[in-house]
Amino acid sequence: MKTPPFLLGATLLFWGWQSDLLVAGAIMAVILESARFVSVRWDFSETEIRRIWNFCTLLSFTMAVYAFTSSEEGGNFMGLFQGAAAFHNATVTTVRTATAFLRWLPLIFFLGVAAQVFSVRDTMPLTAVSLWLRRRRNREIKSGKKITPVRDVNITYPYFMVCLFSAGIHANEGSESFFWGQCVLIIWALAPFRSRRFGAGAWALAVAVAVGIAFLSQRGVRELQRAIEGYNAQWMARFFHGPTTDPKQSMTAMGQIGRLKLSGKIVIRLWTENGESPPTYLREASYRGYNGARRSWFAGNPQRDFESVIAETNQTTFVLLPGKTNNASAKIACYLIGRSSESGNPSGLLPLPTGSGRLENLNAYGLQKNPEGAVLAEGPGLVIFDALYGPGATIDSPPENNFSTTNFDFSVPTNEIPALDRVISENQLLGRNEQQTLQNVYGFFQGKFTYSLWQGRDKLSRSNETALTRFLLFSRSGHCEYFATATVLLLRELKIPARYAVGYAVHEKSGKGYVARQRDAHSWCLVWNEKTKIWEDFDTTPGSWIEMEGKRASLWERFSDFLSWIGFEISKLKILWGQGKLREYIFWSLIPILIFLLYQIIFGQGRKRRQMRQNKNAEVFFWPGLDSEFYELEKKLAKHIPRQPGEPLSNWIERALTHTALTDLRTPLNELLRLHYRHRFDPAGLDAQERKHLTSEVRNCLAKVSRLSKL
Amino acid sequence: MNSIFKLFYRVYRTGTVLLHWSRRRFTPAGLCVVGGFIVTSSVGADIENTVIYQTFTLLSGLLILAAAFSWFFRGKFSITRSLPRFGTAGQPLRYRVAVKNLTARPQNGLALLENLHDPRPAFQEWLAFQNAEARRTPSFRVGKRRRSHPFRLATVKDAAVPPLPPRGEAEAHVELLPLRRGILRFTGATFARPDPFGLFRSFVTLTAMQTVLILPKRYPLPPIALPGAMKYQEGGVALAANIGRSEEFVSLRDYRRGDPVRHIHWRSWAKTGKPIVKEFEDEFFVRHALVLDTFTDDPRSELLEEAVSVAASFACTVLTQESLLDLLFVGAQSYCFTAGRGLGQADRMLEILASVRPCGDKSFQTLENLVLKHVAVVSGCVCIFMDWDEARQNFVKKLRALDVPVLVLVVTEFGEKIPDAGPMRDEPENFKVLEMGRIEEQLARWK
Repeated sequence: MKTPPFLLGATLLFWGWQSDLLVAGAIMAVILESARFVSVRWDFSETEIRRIWNFCTLLSFTMAVYAFTSSEEGGNFMGLFQGAAAFHNATVTTVRTATAFLRWLPLIFFLGVAAQVFSVRDTMPLTAVSLWLRRRRNREIKSGKKITPVRDVNITYPYFMVCLFSAGIHANEGSESFFWGQCVLIIWALAPFRSRRFGAGAWALAVAVAVGIAFLSQRGVRELQRAIEGYNAQWMARFFHGPTTDPKQSMTAMGQIGRLKLSGKIVIRLWTENGESPPTYLREASYRGYNGARRSWFAGNPQRDFESVIAETNQTTFVLLPGKTNNASAKIACYLIGRSSESGNPSGLLPLPTGSGRLENLNAYGLQKNPEGAVLAEGPGLVIFDALYGPGATIDSPPENNFSTTNFDFSVPTNEIPALDRVISENQLLGRNEQQTLQNVYGFFQGKFTYSLWQGRDKLSRSNETALTRFLLFSRSGHCEYFATATVLLLRELKIPARYAVGYAVHEKSGKGYVARQRDAHSWCLVWNEKTKIWEDFDTTPGSWIEMEGKRASLWERFSDFLSWIGFEISKLKILWGQGKLREYIFWSLIPILIFLLYQIIFGQGRKRRQMRQNKNAEVFFWPGLDSEFYELEKKLAKHIPRQPGEPLSNWIERALTHTALTDLRTPLNELLRLHYRHRFDPAGLDAQERKHLTSEVRNCLAKVSRLSKL
Repeated sequence: MNSIFKLFYRVYRTGTVLLHWSRRRFTPAGLCVVGGFIVTSSVGADIENTVIYQTFTLLSGLLILAAAFSWFFRGKFSITRSLPRFGTAGQPLRYRVAVKNLTARPQNGLALLENLHDPRPAFQEWLAFQNAEARRTPSFRVGKRRRSHPFRLATVKDAAVPPLPPRGEAEAHVELLPLRRGILRFTGATFARPDPFGLFRSFVTLTAMQTVLILPKRYPLPPIALPGAMKYQEGGVALAANIGRSEEFVSLRDYRRGDPVRHIHWRSWAKTGKPIVKEFEDEFFVRHALVLDTFTDDPRSELLEEAVSVAASFACTVLTQESLLDLLFVGAQSYCFTAGRGLGQADRMLEILASVRPCGDKSFQTLENLVLKHVAVVSGCVCIFMDWDEARQNFVKKLRALDVPVLVLVVTEFGEKIPDAGPMRDEPENFKVLEMGRIEEQLARWK
């Protein structure tokens, strides 16, 4: 069924208005509606319609490629090949991408609907649209089966729906123009289907009620959506995004009862060059201040926040420590599972080997570091980069050289001091020098403590003693957070600057590289070496923790590893798509195909016509009798006495000879007709003399007929 | 496993109910609105980035109002169908329905929807079909696709009802397309009235039971010289009626025990004093056996349908000649029907063929025994098989060993490898493989 007059034009205008593509919409509307006033129609064959449809399909694919590699709003085609910007756009938001693509749908399928509107057939064969039907028919033709009849469809109504749908793909700015516009268009479109059983008044009333319901509902929906979105948004975010490392604070699990549950999910992959051993730890952040009441570590001075690290000219190299000699390199792949509050892009702390001075091949949109050695990256969901590292300086700020309470590198909560002092004095931890003190502390934890992920009820205090006090004095077993926190505070009490570090321990080999799982998350201590003036890793957690964690591997771990690997490879492809030249190659490779299809559509018919003309010439040359001069005579005579379609020549000649002016020609004309028939149909044909006679007699008759001014 | 299939069966039943309901309740425009409603409900959820939800609300309003209008349709009607006795599978069947308005209000803009008997199978039949389909179209095989609507018996177009004056009558013209042979049962009719928007229809349903027999599809056959010569028929005149050389007097002879009394020549008895009987020429005419293979565990076997169609084509063609035709097949039991030469016409045979059901609980041996019992009186056998396995080949071997001329037709799936003629190798002209989808063409080209 065809759409009512001017509905498509109005819808295109509406789409153009709503999508900020008014000019394009107006042009398309004029073209489509001009079909009502222009009588010229194209006689498209099914092949040509299929070609047009293929063009539309390919165009939609090209647009999709473009849209999914660029999140620019519809209509802006210039940002595709602008280096970092394109790269940035390629992986930012899917919502904007999808909306941009959906907004272009009327443009994409315009040629198809225009072909139908300007076609003599007024419909489109389903075989041109449906690949499946086409395949079925080809199969039937090939096998000699009876061909299943296929319907023709009018695509104006589907196109109307597409236009209306695309018109609604834009940000909700609170305007009600779309609502009223779509009401008019939908009612207009439905008008031809209205039941004649009801009068126009009843129909109009029903329409008014329906629109009224819709108007109230759309307001209600908006309110409802807002209410749902507002409900516990924080909880929802946590549910979807999972745990992330906060560079500003780290809440420990100290004091919690029961078993710590950490999954075997692979979170980091690492490869080293030439089979070198991997770095022991990948640090994400370090913290300076400890809040005993909340059992949390804080980064320290809030005044000293993150500062940006400027990328080198290649946009993928970031120098964290200028001038540092890095003699080792590790390729690290990790997911950025947080979200930037400003841009909404994925962001997260990079797990880096201690002493990282330079990051290469890192396709981050932005990189920041803080004085506590945390490096915050904003980029695509997965980042793969080379971390160049070596012994020596780190990006951590040196400790402040005072013992004031505001110096976080020496601060110890007052409620923890008694237990710490008791441990120091009982175990004589203070050595002659810093090195010996460190050895004493290390020996103390290794000798008297055990690793445990279980904290039972029997370890609960009966007084108001802290979790750390209980760990140091009574239970003497716990997980890494206990050890790291206790070590940091003990060292500080022993006047050695120390910090609390979190990250991952790398120990599990996987293929040619290494993996770190969520359960490999670890915390340890950073201790200031006064001689070398650098922060060094100092881990007092008993080495058995890795083995104990390994025992908790699930039976499904291999399977989940496999899934993780698939997910990783897919993410890598996405990165390749976003970062590499692949999308450019695909885009450019589609352009010639589009041009070729367009050429076929525009010039294909002309070429066919030319071919047909050539064939016609060939027919004249080969068919016997078609060179008969009698045809000239027939043409001449037919100007005076028109020959009816399908009228045999003999009857027509007989009818012509009834005119008195032609009486003289009766004998020669009959003779010529006989000769012409023989020349045309007699397998033996005419001999040379008879052929000559035919030619000369036709000439004579032609001369006579030309002399007849009017019959 | 059975419980899983039962769950699937429930899903199938619920799904078909929903589909049937939506197709009848919604007009094409209504279905478009429903489609739009579904799309906008999913896309429109993001009310910040799109305003599609506003379309969703409008479509919802239209649908709610359209559905609300269905409460206000009251009417009383009666119908009388002028149905033909028979229809043919695949051929449109057109008939008239006299509609009467029993109320004092005029009724306009109505449509008449025929209600056919629920064609959905019981669980066991459905399961058998699923198993057969799974064997026919193995997983991940692209070539063969599953049959759509295998249980549907017919499609009926909605018929427009002319305006009905108060207590007035009118005639609606219904077009029905039978898809399968068998008895098509009408359970009633429904009068549908669309809402003002033309999206949703309200119904008034009335009971009007009727049946029509759908005959199998037939293919045109060229004149075929069936194998076999004329043969003595024991039934003689009784079978031959008035056709052919039935009452040819030959001679007189002495009475022999067992001769029919009506053959006694009374005059000669009186003359000679001993019973003399008249001798007639033996009854010789052609009698063919049409052997139909029905052995399949697929309750909706397309192969069987085609085999029945081929049998029907033969029945129609052979019965126009002066011969007898015995139709032999196995269903719930073994059947043998004879037609021709006054014993029943082609339509009777087609009626029987319309009722042939697949046999999944007996072996081919049953059919073999049936045919071998009849083989003494037949001139030749036309065997229509759905397979060409060892059992069938052995059967043909036995027939040939008994000097019975045989014509073998094997119906196969489209694209299947053509089987070797086996025992028919020496008579390739009497062995035909008919591919589904090309049977009409293959039969038409038969020389």
